[in-house]
Amino acid sequence: MIMSRRQKVLVIDDSQQMHPLIQVRLRGLGVELISAYDGQTGLKIATEEPPDLILLDVNMPGMSGFEVCQVLKESSQTHDIPVIFLTGADESVNKVKGFDLGAVDYVTKPFDPAELCARVRAALNTKALMDLLTTQGQIDGLTGLHNRRYFDERLGQELAAGHRYERPVGLLMIDLDHFKSINDTFGHPKGDQVLRKFADVLTQTCRATDVTCRYGGEEFAVILPASTLELSHQCGVRVLDAIRKCPDFVDIIGRPVTASIGVACAVPSDRMTPAVLVEAADKALYAAKVAGRDRIAAAELAHSQTVV
Amino acid sequence: MQDRPSIAPGVNTEHFNADQEPLTSQFAADPDMLELIGMFVRELPARVESLQQALARSDLATLSQVAHQLKGAGGGYGFPSITSSAAEVERLVKAKAEVDSLHEAVSDLISLCRRASSNPR
Repeated sequence: MIMSRRQKVLVIDDSQQMHPLIQVRLRGLGVELISAYDGQTGLKIATEEPPDLILLDVNMPGMSGFEVCQVLKESSQTHDIPVIFLTGADESVNKVKGFDLGAVDYVTKPFDPAELCARVRAALNTKALMDLLTTQGQIDGLTGLHNRRYFDERLGQELAAGHRYERPVGLLMIDLDHFKSINDTFGHPKGDQVLRKFADVLTQTCRATDVTCRYGGEEFAVILPASTLELSHQCGVRVLDAIRKCPDFVDIIGRPVTASIGVACAVPSDRMTPAVLVEAADKALYAAKVAGRDRIAAAELAHSQTVV
Repeated sequence: MQDRPSIAPGVNTEHFNADQEPLTSQFAADPDMLELIGMFVRELPARVESLQQALARSDLATLSQVAHQLKGAGGGYGFPSITSSAAEVERLVKAKAEVDSLHEAVSDLISLCRRASSNPR
């Protein structure tokens, strides 16, 4: 387990006898168990001291487990707490409904001890990893690329290294063409799929040493350490080509997708900040957009040495 | 079997077969579970009473609720036959079955609950 903190599991079940049973069965996991015997109380506890996992009985008098789950998923405070439904073995319809409501798993009652343990452990591990990602915050949740924060930090490091070893640093700023209309026409879930696919193509097209990031919205950035403007430009052309030809976009929204790229490159001076290079690449990106999109434009960096 | 469950005086034993041996939990050999099984078994007479009263009053809601809880817990405590019997009661209540078949199913469930023993084999 990667957690140093003891993880908390909230059990919401009206049947008193389930609680000590679950307690004993999960003893080996070293988790702290909290008990609630009805939905309302469970929701209150979940909001006041959010657990790492909720084991939720489906069939309860008063507020049902489904209703509890719905409320949990609607609130930003409790939205990310994973839910495992406890359901009767003969209630197979409930399993599907539970997943639709956002549960991560289900366990049928009466449960097999080993199975309960394994499912709870898996859910808690995932939760711990998610927590780690949120606190360390280097990964973009949607695409799996590096996020903006990491980009800013890394570009600073690469510029410092470039200055020290007198080698060029290339930067691509990439923007999906007409992305707003994709969202408006096909809805945000499809838009998200397009962004994820875009990220995949980007990762596959760039070299292992390139740093691929989601800059924000539909804008992506690639840092190319030790790359001349020419090499960076070539990389950009490859990306445009791969995006244009990727058949998966047709599967998702029924038509291909294109992008525009601004490329900038510099052997950094000791004063050069990430903002300078980003701004230069952004201007070039704007030029590529104005010139008709689906193309790459190069920046001219007046006050630092450009390398071609 | 020497350890026959005692039958409380005055209760309906029509469906109770005195030759039936005590029901032992599948988890009786698990020291972690022993105490819990004891708790579960000690609470069973109260469940039996609820079932009997609910049956006498034709209180289907209570019948269904007690059966539902026994269904979920029984197997968990190592008594799968209690789970299947309770499931049958719950099913019959839901299906609005005839009183006779419901009576029989509840009696079966009561009989199983009475036989349940916390002793290791």
